[in-house]
Amino acid sequence: MTEPWWISVIKALIIINLVLVGFAYLTLAERKVMGRMQLRYGPNRAGPFGLLQPAADLMKLIRKESFFPASAVDVLYIASPFVAAFTALSTFSVIPFGPGWEIFGYQVDGQVVDVPISLILIFAIGSIGTFGFIVAGWASDSKFALLGAMRTCAQLVSYEVSLALSVLGVVLMAQSLSLTEIVAGQDGTWWYVVPQFVGFVVFLLAGTAETARAPFDLPEAEQELVAGYHTEYGGMRFGLFTMSEYINLITLSGLAVTLFLGGWHFFFLDGLGPIWFLVKLLALLFLFIWIRTTLPRLRYDQLMRFGWKVLLPVATLNAVVTAILVVAL
Amino acid sequence: MLGDYFPFLVYAFLAAVIPASMIAFSFIFATPPQKRVKARFLPFESGVSEGAPKQQRFTVSFYLTAMLFILFDIEIVFLYPLAIVLDALGWFGLVEFLVFVAILGVAYVYIWRKGALEWK
Repeated sequence: MTEPWWISVIKALIIINLVLVGFAYLTLAERKVMGRMQLRYGPNRAGPFGLLQPAADLMKLIRKESFFPASAVDVLYIASPFVAAFTALSTFSVIPFGPGWEIFGYQVDGQVVDVPISLILIFAIGSIGTFGFIVAGWASDSKFALLGAMRTCAQLVSYEVSLALSVLGVVLMAQSLSLTEIVAGQDGTWWYVVPQFVGFVVFLLAGTAETARAPFDLPEAEQELVAGYHTEYGGMRFGLFTMSEYINLITLSGLAVTLFLGGWHFFFLDGLGPIWFLVKLLALLFLFIWIRTTLPRLRYDQLMRFGWKVLLPVATLNAVVTAILVVAL
Repeated sequence: MLGDYFPFLVYAFLAAVIPASMIAFSFIFATPPQKRVKARFLPFESGVSEGAPKQQRFTVSFYLTAMLFILFDIEIVFLYPLAIVLDALGWFGLVEFLVFVAILGVAYVYIWRKGALEWK
């Protein structure tokens, strides 16, 4: 039974708002956790424990001066933060967070969009996001923004290959591109993180680089590039780039949970579906913040060498070995 | 089949409206600056502000990386459909898979030895 269309609309509204709230509090959580790890408090002025900090940030960003650099290409300058934020927001829709329920006789699926090629959909829309970054740097017509954009583009493009290849092992085992079926394939057996441990590690490393987080945050290496591709942006337009980065991180963690960590399953305690999904998601997000506070940034040639000479062969070998085992067993 | 994509259209519509409204807000609620100075609109530069150079040249490594990306991305585009039916195809599919990866491996060794993977 398929769900009625109005349930899809309500669910889309709820989920997109949850993602936005999740983004707002992820920024706060990151600053808090980083603060604690560096023996300081982190933001604690706005509201109790600084819980209103995201709202304060939003007000501040919206009130900023509407600013155009002198020689910027206006249409593209405005459009690129939109492209980046749009692609980031729309990808979370395919991630399954629960088994699906029957409420008042209506079927409610455990994800917003259930299409047979949801994995491809995520990668396809995610690749469009690169345009937002490179066009932003180009349209601002500033030296640092352009350099940052070129670096961002080269990095995202290099690690996208390894990211997509690391997932190939899971696709081989599940024999499906539908995230629902990949989650179903992990029910009652080992999560794919066990047989696909190499793929999981490659996925996390390439994913860190894809979302441009430390130690792969070369696109915005402050010491050499000022702020990278969004040097000339301010106010809410800068905020949209930040939003796209954090939401990409949330989507990537959600994808890792779905592909490798059993999605909303948790061995025999399956009843709590979305809760388990959330717990795993938060654990991965914490891991990403932890990595950021721990590791120093790589040099650009090290980054490229690591991507092409280490991650790519490892990911390919992992796929080949998995393919042989899938056919032979 | 196409009906599966209806929720995605709804979600994508919301995902388009929210950033668009945020950009609109950045115009509507913006605080006008107290005083307009010409220098503030010049592109950021450490030192003398003369505007961005109109002709930017980049190291060839960027172009090389872009070309390599296209090659390897096509590899993935071919491998994904094969990966789904590999078990059904059995040994025939596996041999096809291995031949494909082997040809790619030759190309990979070639570009490695040529130094295309070195960032200069």
